[in-house]
Amino acid sequence: MAPDTGRKPRDVANSTGRPIPRNMTQQVEKVVAQVGSIILGKARQIRLAIACLLARGHLLIEDIPGVGKTMLAHALATSLGLDFQRIQFTSDLLPADIIGVSIYDRENGGFRFHPGPIFSQVVLADEVNRATPKAQSALLEAMEEHQVTAEGETRRLRQPFFVIATQNPSYQVGTFPLPESQLDRFLMRIHLGYPDNEAERALLQGEDRRDLLAGLDPCMTAQELIALQHDAQQIHASAALLDYVQALVGHTRRAAEYVNGLSPRAALAVLYAARAWALMAGRGHAVPEDVQAVLPGVVGHRLIPADETGRINGADVAARLIRQVAIP
Amino acid sequence: MYAALKDRFLSRLFQWGGPRSGTIVLAQRRVFILPTRQGLMFAFVLLLMLIGSTNYNLGLGFVLTFLLGAMGINAMLHTFRNLANLRIAAGRAGPVFAGDIARFTIHVENGGETDRYAIGLTHDRKEAVFIDAPARANVPATIGIPAPRRGILRPGRLTLFTRYPLGIYYAWAYLELDMQCVVYPRPASPGLPLPPAASSPGAGAERGNGQEDFSGLRQYHPGDSPRHIAWKVAARDQGLLTKQFSGRAETELRLDWALLPPQLNTEERLAHLARWVLDAHARGLSYGLRLPGATVDMAMGEAHRERCLEALALFEQGGKGMNG
Amino acid sequence: MTDTAQPLAQRHVLWLVLSLVMVAAPHALRLPWWLIALFATLAAWRVYIGHVRIPLPNRWLLLLIVIAATAGVYLGYRTLFGRDAGVALLVAMLGLKLLETRSLRDAMLLIFLGYFLVITNFFYSQTMLTAFYLLASVWMITATMVGLHYARTEPPLRVQLRTAGVLLAQSAPLMLVLFVLFPRVPGPLWGMPQDASTGVSGLSDTMTPGSIANLILSDAVAFRVKFESEIPRAKDLYWRGPVLWDFDGRTWTAPRFLYGKPEFDPGGKPVRYEVTIEPHYKRWLFALDLPGRVPPRAHSGSDFQLLAFAPVNSRQRYDMVSYLNSTYGVRESRFALRRALALPDGFNPRSVELARSLRREFPDDKALIREVLRRFNTQGFSYTLSPPLLGTNSVDEFLFEVRSGFCEIYASSFAVLMRAAGIPTRIVTGYQGGEINPMGGYMIVRQAFAHAWNEVWIEGEGWKRVDPTAAVSPLRVESGIAAAAARSDPLPLLVRGDFALLRELQMTLDLFTNSWNQWVLGYTPERQRLLLAGVGMDDATWQKMAAALLIVTGAIVAVLAMLMLRRLNARVRDPVKIAYLRFCDKLRRKGLPRGPAEGPGDYARRIEQSRPDLTPAIAAITRLYVALRYGAQTGADRVSELRRLVRQFSA
Repeated sequence: MAPDTGRKPRDVANSTGRPIPRNMTQQVEKVVAQVGSIILGKARQIRLAIACLLARGHLLIEDIPGVGKTMLAHALATSLGLDFQRIQFTSDLLPADIIGVSIYDRENGGFRFHPGPIFSQVVLADEVNRATPKAQSALLEAMEEHQVTAEGETRRLRQPFFVIATQNPSYQVGTFPLPESQLDRFLMRIHLGYPDNEAERALLQGEDRRDLLAGLDPCMTAQELIALQHDAQQIHASAALLDYVQALVGHTRRAAEYVNGLSPRAALAVLYAARAWALMAGRGHAVPEDVQAVLPGVVGHRLIPADETGRINGADVAARLIRQVAIP
Repeated sequence: MYAALKDRFLSRLFQWGGPRSGTIVLAQRRVFILPTRQGLMFAFVLLLMLIGSTNYNLGLGFVLTFLLGAMGINAMLHTFRNLANLRIAAGRAGPVFAGDIARFTIHVENGGETDRYAIGLTHDRKEAVFIDAPARANVPATIGIPAPRRGILRPGRLTLFTRYPLGIYYAWAYLELDMQCVVYPRPASPGLPLPPAASSPGAGAERGNGQEDFSGLRQYHPGDSPRHIAWKVAARDQGLLTKQFSGRAETELRLDWALLPPQLNTEERLAHLARWVLDAHARGLSYGLRLPGATVDMAMGEAHRERCLEALALFEQGGKGMNG
Repeated sequence: MTDTAQPLAQRHVLWLVLSLVMVAAPHALRLPWWLIALFATLAAWRVYIGHVRIPLPNRWLLLLIVIAATAGVYLGYRTLFGRDAGVALLVAMLGLKLLETRSLRDAMLLIFLGYFLVITNFFYSQTMLTAFYLLASVWMITATMVGLHYARTEPPLRVQLRTAGVLLAQSAPLMLVLFVLFPRVPGPLWGMPQDASTGVSGLSDTMTPGSIANLILSDAVAFRVKFESEIPRAKDLYWRGPVLWDFDGRTWTAPRFLYGKPEFDPGGKPVRYEVTIEPHYKRWLFALDLPGRVPPRAHSGSDFQLLAFAPVNSRQRYDMVSYLNSTYGVRESRFALRRALALPDGFNPRSVELARSLRREFPDDKALIREVLRRFNTQGFSYTLSPPLLGTNSVDEFLFEVRSGFCEIYASSFAVLMRAAGIPTRIVTGYQGGEINPMGGYMIVRQAFAHAWNEVWIEGEGWKRVDPTAAVSPLRVESGIAAAAARSDPLPLLVRGDFALLRELQMTLDLFTNSWNQWVLGYTPERQRLLLAGVGMDDATWQKMAAALLIVTGAIVAVLAMLMLRRLNARVRDPVKIAYLRFCDKLRRKGLPRGPAEGPGDYARRIEQSRPDLTPAIAAITRLYVALRYGAQTGADRVSELRRLVRQFSA
């Protein structure tokens, strides 16, 4: 178990990496397997989602309805032993609908705060782009601060806190696609996509997913998850690895192919995600392959290619970036 | 015929070959070097010194002459080295209005252990910017190229050169980078007044699609439309509150090619449209753009402005660029 | 700041002025005061203009100054050409050009003129000290040049000086090659200007009382000698120079023309040596008595004066052989003998009278000579470097009153006595003695060793050397002038040689100076030929030399280029990475290159698919590499293990 939480991530780079206890990795593997039994043929996305969680980031899933976004969130929450709330974002959703509201309690003669769905460990913000910017920002603030302020009182959210937001592809009418500045708050964006033939057949032949979901058992406790998050921070990132991250980020800032370069926050995100990925692989240190594995998820929604003729998705942008930058 | 042959010879010699995307490495055979006029003068002075030393039998004169002569040869290596093995990558070029200076940025990466100094970048051999590229550094160099007409401006062949350290040699390399800059039409000045908003369904909130811009709640005042009372809040016994919307729908504009006076030619129309786009953006209006064969949907904001101006810039351009 | 038409920044002006002043400074000793003032004013003016940013002065004003300066130089030197006037004009023009310097192009011209000004300093001095000083100046000028082409507004001084220093230092090997191999043409290409010889002391073709005594005060080197055979004894070191025949009562003069042929019967073992003579702007070459050979481009007459065809304006070297016990002049012409007997009428009557009486007493020539020398030895004559002034009948005054004097008066008196007694006599001037530099193993002959002695003609035996000074002061000849001179006599400190340490220091310095002279200043076409013959390049024609020069230059430039272009690419410093790259290289040669963006693990997996046989080795190397480069592990033993694995790895 990680003994200490007071360390800043900056120090971690210099700390000595310890081998990760095998049982921890096995637990993570169990979660992957269990979620994978519900969401068929999406092992990589599931791993990315867990890595995102271990890196204490939030996840944005961008896809059309019906590919199992809600199912993924729910299955993850259950398998990790976390409680789960779903907020369906609509155009008339108010911030109070997310955060909660104080209601006069006749019996006690005072206001009592009724926490909103945000006071949950895994929050699925479904179709976040359908709500007004006001409601969106309420969610995003909570994500960023890990606390909410309602009626002048600041309330901390529960730990671990993990938001999975889903977004319809933005060209649908009547939506408010998240602006770029807000997208940056999500550590990763992934696409689920259609299942392949085999997985779809298994899906069609198998039981009802809802029943399966109901039958899931938690694979670890919330405390164990928090410990794993600490461990992820302790993963060693050598100077050579930091060189690589800097080379990647530096390239996006110079190359004409991108409208904007990656921000320092994005660089941190790459590093954290790579650490989590290394942890999941049972390694005490991150390697360039870890960076490459998480890069599409981390930078896909932050990099806008200058050449907007074809809609280039995040994976393509990241793949090109990986190709262009040599590993130092 | 001769011109064509010469062109082919030159393009062989200097390895011209169309713009390249990605990074150019100034491999040693891409860098060319010739003595400058000062270099020839230096040689002449050395010759004089040699003759003087011979005539007066000055042993030290020979030493000095040969030292400087050796330095002249050595300086060639230095000047060459100042440019060799640099890595050049195209950078960004932000859009500009016609008549302004387009700024193209290239990134000069010096991966080696030797500092490089006084590296010039020019596109016309007249004006140049100079940078220093220390060891293991990546330095941007931005060159301004006039953008006379709207459309896509390409910088064409740029020359990276240096005379450092002694100025007696000129080393250079040609850069054909795949860079382009969108040149917006110059906004007409003075422009025509903005056309009236196309559809203005009257005051305030009575709109078909007005709910998307909820801005907050305020105390209910008698007379507020019942449609905008926050009933959810009221149900929590918090009194009557009215939902507020920031108004903008009454100022929706459609900037249409057809609205312009018919006597204007294409470029003038584009200039006026550009002026309208800027004016509408400055007033925070929501606007759309309609050109023959191209339409930009109603929207607002920076990105939208850029999109509209780009549509104007590329109008009937067919993607062909111009070289600066 | 590299556009040639761009105006100069003030700091460039300062650099320019500073380096030009540095180069021109040594000339200040030689230039007229008004020219120094003009140059200083112009330089200060230019700095002031740059400081307050006002326009440069009107061209007409400058033209006026040009005309005035030219006129001034003409009035001062009576010419505009030649060495001194040329230097003066160049300095004036440099100052004026400063005031006309606006752009980089002008500045470059000034810099080139500055280089040229450096070389003019060598007209006057080519010592090592000068060389060092001017090397520093060249460094400054070059740094100025580097600064001119520096893009940033304020170049770090360090960069500017370092770049210039590196440029010059890297040029040294090539300079050496050019110096040795560049085909030399013997100068001068045109007539040597007349003013190139002022102010150098040395023996002249005349001798008046005091003329040699003046030389004694100079410890300047007359020539250096490297003996190939055994060094002769000190008393045999008579370096023969001008032979004076004619006496007008006060001044002895050498004949204007040589006559006859140098004929002699060699006696004794030949002494072989090489003389390196300092420029003295006269035609004499010196050799041990009696020279057995005439150096190239020189001639000699029957009195064995060695005369070069042209004045010795530069250091020269010649091989000589001498025979110390030769017989010569046995069949001297009557004309010459008559000349060797001539005395002006009415001078030194008492001496003439004394000679005649002695003649009567000693009819034998040799007995007469012995008697005169005996008198010099016994009758209270003394040797001094600071003799009292003598009047018209100098010999009379010396012989009968003063009785103390320097070699010239002894030689002069002896000659007068002999001639009056009817024995043909002449005076030979030259040097006597020499000091050995124990470090260099060569002999230094200084101006202070100047000497005069006599030759008398004996029937059947020819000319015989008689040194009356030796009769007075045997030490002068046996042990050198320092031993002979009285303590109170003014003699150069270095010649006296009392202080052992000082002397040693001086000898070391002279060794350097000699090498410097021999190899830097005296590297003449002949020496070049000799040197090249020494390395096996016989009869080096200029074509051969040019070819050798090209080849060696090419090789040096290639080496330099390799050294300089080596560090242009990113260098990997991490030994772990270096080892891994070597591993990748081994695989690349087997057609399995690693992509630049391919991580080590991915690469290993890919290779293992195509070469399963290598799996264990690759896995071990990759594991270790990843652990060392990305893991927290360190340790030299682990690194060397990786190296070992990579070394042993073969695909």
